[in-house]
Amino acid sequence: MIRFENVTKKYGDDVILDDISFEIEEGEFAVLIGPSGCGKTTTLKSINRLIEPEAGHIHVEGRDIMETNPVALRRKIGYVIQEIGLFPNMTVAENIGVVPKRLKYKKEEIERITRDLLDMVGMSYEEYADKYPSELSGGQQQRIGVLRALAASPPLVLMDEPFGALDPMTREALQDEIIRLHKKLKKTFVFVTHDMDEALKLADKIIFMDQGKIVQMDSPDQILENPASDLIKQFMGKRISGSGSAELTAGDFMKPHPVSVYKGEGIRKSTEIMARRKIDSLLVKNEDNSYAGVVTIRNIRRHGKDAKTIGQIPTTPNAVSHVSEDAMDSFDKLLDSDSDFVVVLNDDRTIAGIVTKTSMARAMADALWGDEA
Amino acid sequence: MNTKILLEHLYIVFFSVVLSILAGLPLGVAAYLWKPARKPILRLSELLQTIPALALLGMVMLVLGAGKTTVITGLLLYSLLPIVHNTYIGLEAIDPGVKRAARGMGMSRWDRLMTVELPLSFPMIFAGIRIAAVTSVGIAVFAASVGGGGLGSVINRGIRTQNIQLILSGTLTLMAMALVLDGLMAWLEHSLKSGRR
Repeated sequence: MIRFENVTKKYGDDVILDDISFEIEEGEFAVLIGPSGCGKTTTLKSINRLIEPEAGHIHVEGRDIMETNPVALRRKIGYVIQEIGLFPNMTVAENIGVVPKRLKYKKEEIERITRDLLDMVGMSYEEYADKYPSELSGGQQQRIGVLRALAASPPLVLMDEPFGALDPMTREALQDEIIRLHKKLKKTFVFVTHDMDEALKLADKIIFMDQGKIVQMDSPDQILENPASDLIKQFMGKRISGSGSAELTAGDFMKPHPVSVYKGEGIRKSTEIMARRKIDSLLVKNEDNSYAGVVTIRNIRRHGKDAKTIGQIPTTPNAVSHVSEDAMDSFDKLLDSDSDFVVVLNDDRTIAGIVTKTSMARAMADALWGDEA
Repeated sequence: MNTKILLEHLYIVFFSVVLSILAGLPLGVAAYLWKPARKPILRLSELLQTIPALALLGMVMLVLGAGKTTVITGLLLYSLLPIVHNTYIGLEAIDPGVKRAARGMGMSRWDRLMTVELPLSFPMIFAGIRIAAVTSVGIAVFAASVGGGGLGSVINRGIRTQNIQLILSGTLTLMAMALVLDGLMAWLEHSLKSGRR
């Protein structure tokens, strides 16, 4: 799909890309990662000719991109950036239709595409098509940014730290969506990030760069198992700074900011939140923010008719842990109980996060890896 | 003073501003798009503004002779600065993310300018046109001195005959005209904006 052959880029005496060669297969989710100034963004931008290297060749779908007209090339490559860059003078629908319109798609066709795409990220055409970007939240704006890149159905999509400016909750939701879109659409994605968690979560292939060179190119598993350099270890290492899992606590592995609602929240709004976040149970908290219990969709269905607020629904017993509790103990609780997660509380009984099976898997990977270090 | 003089004055202002837009907008765009031309264009429009209006009209008169053409040409040159500058600044100030997205998605230079950059810098450009129009009302007074007519002739007559009433009526009419024009353009700007939204 993409082939770099001895590509070199310099700004004056600074070598940004130092004779790099690599390939990305069709349908792959490739993530470029590395410290700032390592050349990852330059690599990405040279794929759609926003930057042109001094030496070497870049092939996209078997053709040397220098032989393709840059405007025509870019229309066949989706592009998503951290700044989002929606056109403020155009509506959501017009933004999504920018490339199809220039490729002379029919009007009805563009509308159909826009409808389908909005539908795919759970935004209704009727509600959002005629809105302007300034009327949307940051997360919604970037969803539109992604849809705009997909609108003309390009085989390749480039993403330059697309979620870097979003808050952690929105970022996680969008990461899940992008994984879903990738699976569904079977396109090649090239994604730049400086966040190793994000890379591990999204990538089929991680390309780790430093000082204009590729240090390691491998699957996430391989990188976790055999990091090629100290820098990569360091990059992944925030979580394994201790010497093994013994000293690690539930707080180190929990997913912070779980979805929670106050007791007084209405039933309808609560189920809406659950539907939107695709979860089947909800953390409920008292007005003083302390943890009140877990309400499942089953109980809402059973008791929702007689209740006005979520606080009136019976809670389901759920394992609870404390931020300073040993991580292993929390994992045991998770395995021993029937619940899908363990609620982690702070000293003042407010909700700190949840420990899920994913957190556990991550901890185990780190533990394995900590032994080698 | 009669309506003919009033209309004459408005005519001068209107044509000079329209011509100034026709010249200034492309110059501002050229300054934005083409780096080598940037400094010369911006400096020249600033330089024109530093010449006293009366002197500028006098110089144009030596070339074109006395009459309305001279006045309109002089005012055109004088109005260039706000229009050229605001066009350039408005284009330059657009969010770099928006510009990068437009380029990265495969919009041609002309396409980006027409569908993204100019619409987004419209408020700034319009503000420049508004400044040009309102200042032109006052500067057009000098038209009378180079045979162009307008309200300047009323004030000139008042000064020659030491008739304070005549001077005042000319001045007040000018002030009212400037205020009405400014209000009209504010309204136009507002309705154009809400029309697009």
